[in-house]
Amino acid sequence: MANTATQAARLAPPKGRDFPSASTLMIMAGFLTLMIWSYVGTEFSLRGLLGGESAAQIWTYAKNLFPPDLSKDFLLKTGYWALETFAISFLGTILAVVIALSLVFFSSRNLMFAGLLFEMERSRPWVRALRTGLYLGAKSTLNILRTVPHIVWALILVFAVGLGPFPGMLALGIHTGGVLGRLFGEVVENVETQPIEALQATGATRLQILFYGILPQVLPDFVAYTLYRWEVNIREAVILGYVGAGGLGQQIQIAISLFLEHRLLTLILAIYIIVTLVDHLSASLRNRLV
Amino acid sequence: MYLLDRVSKVFDGRTIAVNELDLKVRRGEKLAMIGQSGAGKTTLFRMLNLTIPPTSGTLLFDRLDIGRLAGRRLREVRRRIGTVYQQHNLVPRLQVVHNVLSGKLGAWPLWRAVRSLIRPAEAELAYEALSQVGIPEKLYDRTETLSGGQQQRVAIARTLVQNPEVILADEPVSSVDPALAAGIVKLLIELSETYRKTLIMNLHSVDLALAHFPRVIGLRDGKISFDLPAAEVTDDHLATLYAGSEAETAEEVPSRAEPHPVRSCQPHLTS
Repeated sequence: MANTATQAARLAPPKGRDFPSASTLMIMAGFLTLMIWSYVGTEFSLRGLLGGESAAQIWTYAKNLFPPDLSKDFLLKTGYWALETFAISFLGTILAVVIALSLVFFSSRNLMFAGLLFEMERSRPWVRALRTGLYLGAKSTLNILRTVPHIVWALILVFAVGLGPFPGMLALGIHTGGVLGRLFGEVVENVETQPIEALQATGATRLQILFYGILPQVLPDFVAYTLYRWEVNIREAVILGYVGAGGLGQQIQIAISLFLEHRLLTLILAIYIIVTLVDHLSASLRNRLV
Repeated sequence: MYLLDRVSKVFDGRTIAVNELDLKVRRGEKLAMIGQSGAGKTTLFRMLNLTIPPTSGTLLFDRLDIGRLAGRRLREVRRRIGTVYQQHNLVPRLQVVHNVLSGKLGAWPLWRAVRSLIRPAEAELAYEALSQVGIPEKLYDRTETLSGGQQQRVAIARTLVQNPEVILADEPVSSVDPALAAGIVKLLIELSETYRKTLIMNLHSVDLALAHFPRVIGLRDGKISFDLPAAEVTDDHLATLYAGSEAETAEEVPSRAEPHPVRSCQPHLTS
């Protein structure tokens, strides 16, 4: 019965693809409208950027940046601030991994209540309700961590624990924890089910299946995502300095507000170097581990 | 060992995969199931190894009603049933030794299982099992580097380590080089004879089923089409079993007398 239905569906002629369908046209029109609207909304103006007075201003400012301040004293300080930024991004990422790992398995549907691992589960409503509650709790916690931007976290935490790199590291860790939790969660929900079915059939418990069937599948992706977020975090750590959370960012803010342009250039170069460094480090780690 | 009474499995409320099936399997029996793809063989197997529950009917394993099992008792029964799948049932990134030892998971507590991932807990056992399937040298290789046939042997070694009472093999040779297929089927039969296991195997190849198994069951549209000793299966039975398959597979309608030379790569099996 069901067989003939699927056969009929297979025999039906494929729809013509010569013209873009109505829905494609609608999407394209919508996209165009959105672009025009945003163009107006951001007051985009090439003339404002390059024409007349502002071009001259940009030029003057750029000239003022040179030469960079390369005095030994300042270079040493810059090195220290760069290390501080590096430490913020590094510890922040580690904190993020800890947060993500402690919540991700609770926020995965396939581990908590649905699918293969629960086919033979006898329906006990209160157990199911408990599991669903845990799932929703973990999922919404991760969502809150992720949707509040790291800079907002930093502002709140600077109030709570004072200025310096510590609140910056916390802010990065909390926000990135939410981001990684979501990314990890998608990996966990998309694991190959056949090995898991086989493990379950040997009489393994769900935790054993987690260690033998799921973790080996997801760990490479976890590592790759973490390294990628670390690259993002080294840049975000700079931005965090702007709200008083230490590192190069804080010094850049000081340099700009005190018109210390030579120092500003040195700091920008330091950012360039440290970001490039982390990108390379992360890429080589990824190649080795994944 | 198994007693099925009007067991049905319906997916999504309309696709009937297994339809009021009655079946009795005695301890130590060796039987093969044949039938077209979509006849319900795999669904039946997933019920037999307690992966999915029947929609209706009762399924008894060793006089235990599996519909009443849950938690620890469910896992204890699963432990007594070993399954060899068609393919992709090993964890590719783990070393062979861990895949083999995962047969022990039902017997190990969690801490032991986790510790074994760092340092294999019973490596000798895994080595011995791999020796029996002929690839002991692969013990510490990454599983994904093995060929399809070797992976199937690893899966069989896992079942040996699990040491179940029943071995279910769901088309264990359909993803394996045809030349090796007979070897793997024979291996499973020998092992289950040596260790007195009940063996139930789904097979795509009618030749292999008729040549090696005393009892052969034909499954069609989720029902048993015939259930006979291999010697009593006639061309008529097979024609009924495979009737109505599409043109492409119609050529494949097997017959006892003349095995198709391309399809059957084991001419010696058809006496």
